Amino acid sequence: MSALLTANRSDYSQTMLPTTADGFADEAAWINRAQRSDTRAFESLYRLHVDKVYGLCLRMTGNVSEAEDCTQDAFIQAWNKLAKFRGDSAFATWLHRIAVNTVLGRMRSSKREQDRIQAVAETSAAPLATGDVGELRDLSEAVDKLPAGARHVFVLHAVYGYSHEEAGSMLGIAAGTSKAQLHRARRLLAQQLKQQGFEE
Amino acid sequence: MTEMNDDKLTVAAAKLGTEISPQRDLWPGIAEAIRMPRRVRRTSMFAQAAAIVLLVGASSGVTYIAVKGQQGPVTQLTPNLVFEQTAYASRYNPGPGFEEARDELAAQLDVELARLSPQTRADIAANRQVLREAILDIQNALENDPDNALLQARLVKAYREELSVLRRVGGLTRNVMMRNDI
Repeated sequence: MSALLTANRSDYSQTMLPTTADGFADEAAWINRAQRSDTRAFESLYRLHVDKVYGLCLRMTGNVSEAEDCTQDAFIQAWNKLAKFRGDSAFATWLHRIAVNTVLGRMRSSKREQDRIQAVAETSAAPLATGDVGELRDLSEAVDKLPAGARHVFVLHAVYGYSHEEAGSMLGIAAGTSKAQLHRARRLLAQQLKQQGFEE
Repeated sequence: MTEMNDDKLTVAAAKLGTEISPQRDLWPGIAEAIRMPRRVRRTSMFAQAAAIVLLVGASSGVTYIAVKGQQGPVTQLTPNLVFEQTAYASRYNPGPGFEEARDELAAQLDVELARLSPQTRADIAANRQVLREAILDIQNALENDPDNALLQARLVKAYREELSVLRRVGGLTRNVMMRNDI
């Protein structure tokens, strides 16, 4: 998958703004220009971070269409809030927070919409294109079937490595609640994966 | 993640891909949305303006209700009560109810005027003088035409206006005092 991502980035780089001499994208310069309403610079930031944001959205929603919408909404919100970004945290972390809020906001906004998404997810037998193979693919599919609260904590804590305090802050829950949700997620995953050899 | 380091599930979860390429390019939709400059921010400004209008309206309403409830004994002297006792025909002076009310207000006025600026005091005195002259003129006219209903009505109106001025002065100085107290 990393080769695929590298290839994609290489293709994108032809339309992006110049990079620094050492080959790394000058993210700070792009942020600075995007804050002055330079959409080309913002597109470069999008190309640099879209996989991270989409990956998070896909893991959290478990639905391709919803993940695409969340990703777009997250970047639109990032554009609107860009003037407030002061660099106190990494830009990727800042984007992650926006993406998590976007996912949660969309989930809260419409129960009917959630019912529709759930119905689509249930009728769609095709697994998510996460790039995971073998046992990881089984785990990925099992994570998608977790209840939302447990899934969100598991994704942020176990997959992305955020602490319970950080995950709780992002999700608007206490660290203790995050721990409880993780325990619940592990128990449910263990039940699902028992036959594939994932035993605690 | 230290709680689960020795756990096979945790190890596997940490291996799950965190960067996933979307199946289609999402940029065109984003580009179209951000082409409209800072649309969200503009909406937010409208929302702020609406909030300010609501706030000013609500505070004005509260102030009106609060001030309305602090008129004191002066508001109890209603014009209807006063002028029901006004006599016409051979005697063109207001009745005892009006005289009592005016005397009470005039006594309060002297106290209240002391709190006002010299310019405001002069303006109030000038207004009262105009009203007094109007009342005298109407009374003189009624001497010659005692049954003139129009002159009677104008006399009543002039008395009402005099009371109104006295009442407004009282309210004005009370408000000033309240602000000073705060």
